[in-house]
Amino acid sequence: MLEVKNLRAKYPNETSLLFKDVSLSIQQGEKVLLVGPSGSGKSTLLQILAGLIPDVIEVPIKADKRKISESYGMVFQDPDAQFCMPYVDEEIAFVLENRNISQQNMAFLISQYLDRVGLQLADEHVSIQQLSGGMKQRLAIASVLALEPEVLFLDEPTAMLDQIGTKQVWDTLKEVSEDKTVVIVEHKIDHVLPLVDRVIILDEIGAIVADGEPNDIFSRFRSKLYQYGIWYPNIWDDYAQQLPNYAQYDNMHQPIITMDSFHGYYQKQIKMHVNDAVIHRGDWLAITGENGSGKSTLMLAIMQLIKTSGEINYFLSDNSNTCDYRKMGYVFQNPELQFITNSVYAELEHSLKNSDVHPEKFADRLEAHLKRYNLYHVKDHHPYQLSIGQKKRLSVATATIADVDILLLDEPTFGQDAKNTFQMLELFEECRKNNITIVMVTHQPEIVELYATKEWRIKDGELMEILDLSRVQENISKDDMYVY
Amino acid sequence: MSISVSYQPTWLHQINPSFKLLTLTALFIGLLFVHNPNFLLYMITGIAVLYLFGTGHRWKVIGLLAIPLTIIFLSSSTTMIFFGEGEQTWFKFGLIHITEESFYRGIHLGLRSMVFGLLSLLFALTTRPVYLFYSTMQQLKLKPKYAYSFMAAIRMLPIIVEEFQTLRQALKVRGVQYSKGVKGMYEKVKLYAIPLLAQSIRRAHRIAVAMEAKQFSKNNKRTFYYHLGYTNKDLLFFFILVVWLIISYVCSNQFTVFPVEYVR
Repeated sequence: MLEVKNLRAKYPNETSLLFKDVSLSIQQGEKVLLVGPSGSGKSTLLQILAGLIPDVIEVPIKADKRKISESYGMVFQDPDAQFCMPYVDEEIAFVLENRNISQQNMAFLISQYLDRVGLQLADEHVSIQQLSGGMKQRLAIASVLALEPEVLFLDEPTAMLDQIGTKQVWDTLKEVSEDKTVVIVEHKIDHVLPLVDRVIILDEIGAIVADGEPNDIFSRFRSKLYQYGIWYPNIWDDYAQQLPNYAQYDNMHQPIITMDSFHGYYQKQIKMHVNDAVIHRGDWLAITGENGSGKSTLMLAIMQLIKTSGEINYFLSDNSNTCDYRKMGYVFQNPELQFITNSVYAELEHSLKNSDVHPEKFADRLEAHLKRYNLYHVKDHHPYQLSIGQKKRLSVATATIADVDILLLDEPTFGQDAKNTFQMLELFEECRKNNITIVMVTHQPEIVELYATKEWRIKDGELMEILDLSRVQENISKDDMYVY
Repeated sequence: MSISVSYQPTWLHQINPSFKLLTLTALFIGLLFVHNPNFLLYMITGIAVLYLFGTGHRWKVIGLLAIPLTIIFLSSSTTMIFFGEGEQTWFKFGLIHITEESFYRGIHLGLRSMVFGLLSLLFALTTRPVYLFYSTMQQLKLKPKYAYSFMAAIRMLPIIVEEFQTLRQALKVRGVQYSKGVKGMYEKVKLYAIPLLAQSIRRAHRIAVAMEAKQFSKNNKRTFYYHLGYTNKDLLFFFILVVWLIISYVCSNQFTVFPVEYVR
């Protein structure tokens, strides 16, 4: 059994308490899901229940009573930040070594644990770097199982996985967690629900607002969940309900980029091939396809950031007919890599200095842009101090402030909560209204359905299908659109 | 991106890594006191044979790594040859002044850098870092805390390389321009180092937490997945080195290539 009574915690350098007299107890064998808005302290609570705080991570906490499990395992969200060994077998062996298991039994146990998570590898001595994200997370589960824990803590284990990986991981977790106490923090909860028998909702300041049986919680607190940006099942339906009908634009027949026998190279090999395709002005082009199919390569090739061959023409407003970064915005997956100054304000100013916007207009434009992207109140912060959602918004803002014609986005909503995702989609739509063509890689079919005017399906490094979706949005009424 | 290199394990891979490390370190230090270029030349021939045929790596790798070796040899020897001091002038043109003394001193310096380079490569190409750290924990009693930190750090390197490439693209897209000269260098270092460090420090912290969550360091006693003991390969290695040292010594006295015996 896990228990905390009247828990208080405070991060150093923060003025307010993270938890104020939170009490919670979890019985043996219970399977609990903790949800809440970003910044509500779900992960912190999980780490306190596990005992990682304050034993390993030094955060001052105070509680009248604290009972934790001696034997626990935790799966973290970043597949690249939880292994210390280079090979699969060595990683599980690391855990067995910690437990003082004798070397003769190790090989057998390693295969057994890998088997339990469905990782059938011809050779167990395989480099972890070669595994897909979903496989890495299953390896993380296997190494946690090697601890033979009574309690499993799962800290958004699928936040960085695509849909296939997510499903694999939750299927695996369902199988291995039967006889264990499980505490889960997650905001993508479609696959989690069949696994849990209790749901706890935290609010912005870490207070428990609801605690109960899943069905009950989801019928009674649906609007709270929506407000907190939790990906509950059918949230897209609720979102679509309140969306205005987007108008079409007249100038959608002018090409902005045309490609002919266009190839993108990676390490001297052709990784992506487009036979003949056009991106039109005012399009919202969604690029879809499986992981590793070449979507990001296509984006990098369009931006001329990798070696390319074949024909590509740019029809940008500066009439240069070249790939001009002052007219083309690109947003990378990790926004931090795009920040180059010490404040949000300077970051946006840098983009303007690089453009042909007149310096007299800088101040007005900066203010308007900061407000539009909801960054005005943090304009003097260092970009690294922002929340994840704010970082993403800033990286989009830097790309759009200087009159670009086209904005390319590599999975901009990946790993974001629903609130941030919707907010960003609306920003993109606004950009599109202001005549910025949107090209975005996405895995989310709902985004394609709600917003995209064109979809390019990429398979095995080749553009296989071009779908025109603009007709769908025009003729079918909103109510008919979301019948699956 | 993958920076893994495939190879065929040879007997040199099977030598106990700690033993190999200590032997080669001793040899390093010993060679510092050698002032006879003939001896170094014979040493190099022997080590070169091991390097060329003993590492089990593909010719492409061996060839590629030989390029920096050659550059090291040429750069360290020519500077000394061209600009070193000496009495017996052979050639003089402007700043360049080649004398007999500077020539042999240059050759000696080049050979010395080359023998160090070859030995280091031989070690690096035939030692898996994981085995080295397991061995240092078992034979040299290195604390697991340090050994596993190193291993975790090595695992992060390819991720950093990947991040570096993305960062380069990102800066290009944002239209970053650098000043000229030293100031530009400083800007570049700052723009690359800060994000890479920030990402790495955060990742390192996460890995550390994950390791402790896996009960690392709760107790000091631990078992080992890999047992690295001593084998007769170690003896063979030691024997070959000693024999070759003797042969080099004898040859350097009997069949001199350079007509000098003492250079400093």
